[in-house]
Amino acid sequence: MSKIGVFICHCGENIAAKVDCTRVAEVLGDHPGVGASVEYKYFCSDPGQESVKRAIRENNLTGVVVAACSPRMHEATFRKACAEAGLNPYMCEIANIREQCSWVHNDGEQATDKAIDIIRSMVEKVKRNNMLQPIEVPVTRRALVIGGGIAGIQAALDIANAGQEVVLVEREPSLGGHMAQLSETFPTLDCSQCIMTPRMVEASQHPKIRLLTYAEVEHVDGYIGNFKVKVRMKARYVNKDTCTGCGECITKCPQKKLSSEFDCGIGKRTAIYTPFAQAVPNKPVIDKDNCTYFKNGKCKVCVKSCPLDCIDFEMQDEFIDLEIGAIVVATGFQVQNNAVYGEYGYGKYADVINGLQFERLASASGPTSGKILRPSDGKEPENIVFIQCAGSRDPSKGVKYCSKICCMYTAKHAMLYAHKVHGGKSNIFYMDIRAAGKGYDEFTRRAIEEDEAGYVRGRVSKVWQENGKLMVRGADTLLGRPVEVAADMVVLATAMVPQPDAKDFAKVVGIGYDEYGFFNEAHLKLRPVESSTAGIYLAGACQSPKDIPDSVAQASASASKVLALFSKEKLEREPVIAVNNEATCAGCWGCVLACPYNAIEKKDILDRSGKVIKRVASVNPGLCQGCGTCVTFCRSNSIDLAGFTEKQIFAEVMGL
Amino acid sequence: MSIEQQYRTRAKELLSSGEVKMVIGYSKGSTPDRRRPAFISTPEDVETLVLDGACIANLSGYLVTEGLLSDEKRVAVFLRPEGIRAINILAAEFQLNAAQVEILGFNTEGNEPTALSGSKVDDFAELIGTLKGIIPDTAGEELYKKLEAMSPQERFDFWQSEFSKCIKCYACRQACPMCYCRRCIVDNNQPQWVNTSSHTLGNFEWNIVRAFHLSGRCVECGNCDRACPVNIPLRLINRKMAGEVLEAFDHFAGSSQTQEPVMASFKKDDTETFIL
Ligand SMILES: Cc1cc2nc3c(=O)[nH]c(=O)nc-3n(C[C@H](O)[C@H](O)[C@H](O)COP(=O)(O)OP(=O)(O)OC[C@H]3O[C@@H](n4cnc5c(N)ncnc54)[C@H](O)[C@@H]3O)c2cc1C
Ligand code: SF4
Ligand code: SF4
Ligand code: SF4
Ligand code: SF4
Repeated sequence: MSKIGVFICHCGENIAAKVDCTRVAEVLGDHPGVGASVEYKYFCSDPGQESVKRAIRENNLTGVVVAACSPRMHEATFRKACAEAGLNPYMCEIANIREQCSWVHNDGEQATDKAIDIIRSMVEKVKRNNMLQPIEVPVTRRALVIGGGIAGIQAALDIANAGQEVVLVEREPSLGGHMAQLSETFPTLDCSQCIMTPRMVEASQHPKIRLLTYAEVEHVDGYIGNFKVKVRMKARYVNKDTCTGCGECITKCPQKKLSSEFDCGIGKRTAIYTPFAQAVPNKPVIDKDNCTYFKNGKCKVCVKSCPLDCIDFEMQDEFIDLEIGAIVVATGFQVQNNAVYGEYGYGKYADVINGLQFERLASASGPTSGKILRPSDGKEPENIVFIQCAGSRDPSKGVKYCSKICCMYTAKHAMLYAHKVHGGKSNIFYMDIRAAGKGYDEFTRRAIEEDEAGYVRGRVSKVWQENGKLMVRGADTLLGRPVEVAADMVVLATAMVPQPDAKDFAKVVGIGYDEYGFFNEAHLKLRPVESSTAGIYLAGACQSPKDIPDSVAQASASASKVLALFSKEKLEREPVIAVNNEATCAGCWGCVLACPYNAIEKKDILDRSGKVIKRVASVNPGLCQGCGTCVTFCRSNSIDLAGFTEKQIFAEVMGL
Repeated sequence: MSIEQQYRTRAKELLSSGEVKMVIGYSKGSTPDRRRPAFISTPEDVETLVLDGACIANLSGYLVTEGLLSDEKRVAVFLRPEGIRAINILAAEFQLNAAQVEILGFNTEGNEPTALSGSKVDDFAELIGTLKGIIPDTAGEELYKKLEAMSPQERFDFWQSEFSKCIKCYACRQACPMCYCRRCIVDNNQPQWVNTSSHTLGNFEWNIVRAFHLSGRCVECGNCDRACPVNIPLRLINRKMAGEVLEAFDHFAGSSQTQEPVMASFKKDDTETFIL
């Protein structure tokens, strides 16, 4: 006979303001099979948990329903409390009467009725719960960090410095990401390269870090503690073991006019190239699509120039298989393509550039050696107009969100311009100045007060060329009048957007993403660095627009999660896994295909003489993640999910 | 030589040479317009085989009879194009090994059977390709158009009144080659998802579950609606589902032996309109 305890939590005012908890407790107290029904202000608090434990012992409860917030919040808390009171933790369930009831209803009467229904339904389920035992799985103590920008490098270094192995995968020929492209960085104006390149070197030389550049993750299988990862090593056409990075080939390559990705199209590169002089590893790759030999079958100038015979046109992509325990995704962002703003003339006028291009102009390692010169004629601009929110906070053409960093880097750009071009005049069109952060408001104030950046509040409607000048027309909404400025250069503070392949990548790795393609965290507030897939963590701008301090902080947080996971030899996993009924299975093997974790195998059932009498599906409990996909697929209802069996679900539905 | 005679001769050869252990075809039925399945294992009996315009039943379902193909011997079977598609599905769902099936393919134009060339399921790939997306010109054509023109509410009412006739005899399931499960979901009574009594709710549950289970699998052979004692036009609800999976996933049931089941597979470019 079931004796279920029902614990109705007020959640302060969160639940009690709408739901009449006293009435709920009374009604449930009379429900068949309920052995105790009580309410309390905060069951998750220490005295609250103690009262649950006491009730279990005193009433010999066989199951527990805590009617409170979402199970994502406190299921683990209450299961632990139940275990401490001697009850199998899987005999405890949460009835969500907060997110799914009190928060979303106005009418208290109806909310109370609904809360009763939700709890009753859960009581019916718990009556049919089974005592499950957690599954133990071994942990492979090796982390994979995907993306070699500042976030990825930080995460890799933190994990490696704690003594654990790391594989760092970067798809470009060099580490560095966007930070390597920046000139000086807000809010301190220290030189980006000077703080970035030593980190890149450290990562590449660390004995615990295996660096795979020009490499991409092809396939991820498995689960927390036990991922199997396939990495594609793209053919570099240069033997990276023998190459010393002397650069002879680069100087000789006849293809000199290719647009440099690293310099955002402002600089040029050759077909055999390293993205920038401080690249790590500092060894070139051949851009197959633009190499004369690959195009016409003739050239091989690089082969002749290389003193060590490193160039190999026959090289093929190679694959590496890795066993991995935890993954940190740090694949960063892209800047939006400003061509969507036809009215600003990006792509049409050479002197309308984006913020990242300005970084390259201002960078000492850039194509102009740090001089601010117009791309069109190489002259020093006497006047620059900066347009903020060129893409951000613009649902019609750009993105709805705020990119968070543009206010800051535009202030930085105005300062750098003032420092580099004396007498240069800047005008910044802005909607708001968002400068929340340590030293941030002081920084923008400095731009205005010391470096005389001219802020104009309003949007720009049009940019056009007239008499060799770029005419910028906008509105000054504070003065309530139109303004027109003649500029030598226009810089657009472009929105930060996800990598173009972010959604496909998310599917390969098996994590969720939002409507834009930024990766989803498990809980925005309480689990901001964990993805929704156990064992996969997020770092940097791949999750949302971030500046360097935030990216680094999140990377270190991810690293600490990985290290916590690696601190144990074995991992306890929820026993919520699929179980197949071989007697009824029709052997259609649809579930084998449907299972996203390849956890189902084909199995022959033999008679005594070894003859196959039946072929069925069989679930590997080590691999099953309990997602339930197979259960929904199986037409004969042969597969069931422990903890969510059909009987339980049916009882839940009928309990409503 | 008539096609009937031609196929009798072929059946005889297959049996005499031992190439197949059985021929599944048609023989005379209880009334002049009906044919009954024939299971012939001796060359002498081939004379009872009939092939004419009344041979419309899809015989592929008999191949998955427990144990029939487990000795790895081959069986020949008379099949129309829908039946051949059914072989592909059964093979794709691992219910049979298509190499064990010798196909005696035919079609009926007007009232006359015509022979289809080929004997292995893959021989008919081209033919099946030409059928993709074409709504077969079969019984119910008119009604289907009428249903498509209805508002959702009208359509719902239509099916509600049709399903209210259902007596839960499960003849549709027994007749369908795709309903090969050892235990059908309706026979599961722990818990009893589908109400057993024949009232509106239970009937709806049953018929909708079956339509879902056949989405991307029904070949429109019509076995079900011919079997239905109360004449529910079951095939039409499956036709609707076939149209949906074709449009959403470019899936035409029974295109090949290696076709992945539409409900168990996904492609990166599948539409995601139903999830966020
Ligand atoms: C114009 C501009 C100016 C800025 N100025 C400042 C500033 O002054 N101060 C500041 O704090 N912040 C600044 N930022 C923000 C700063 O650039 C970011 O915060 C930082 O670069 C984020 O680092 P990340 O590692 O997350 O991403 P990224 O730097 O984008 O690095 C991601 C890396 O992952 C790699 N990658 C992507 N996909 C894959 C894949 N599938 N497989 C393998 N590798 C992959 C990429 O090649 C890249 O190397 C600025 C940004 C812009 C656009
Ligand atoms: S889907 Fe169901 S019937 Fe088919 S193989 Fe899997 S368990 Fe068996
Ligand atoms: S529940 Fe089923 S589909 Fe999901 S992981 Fe387990 S076996 Fe695979
Ligand atoms: S549902 Fe009906 S028409 Fe479709 S394959 Fe089965 S019996 Fe044939
Ligand atoms: S054959 Fe007709 S009456 Fe019988 S169960 Fe099927 S739909 Fe109902």
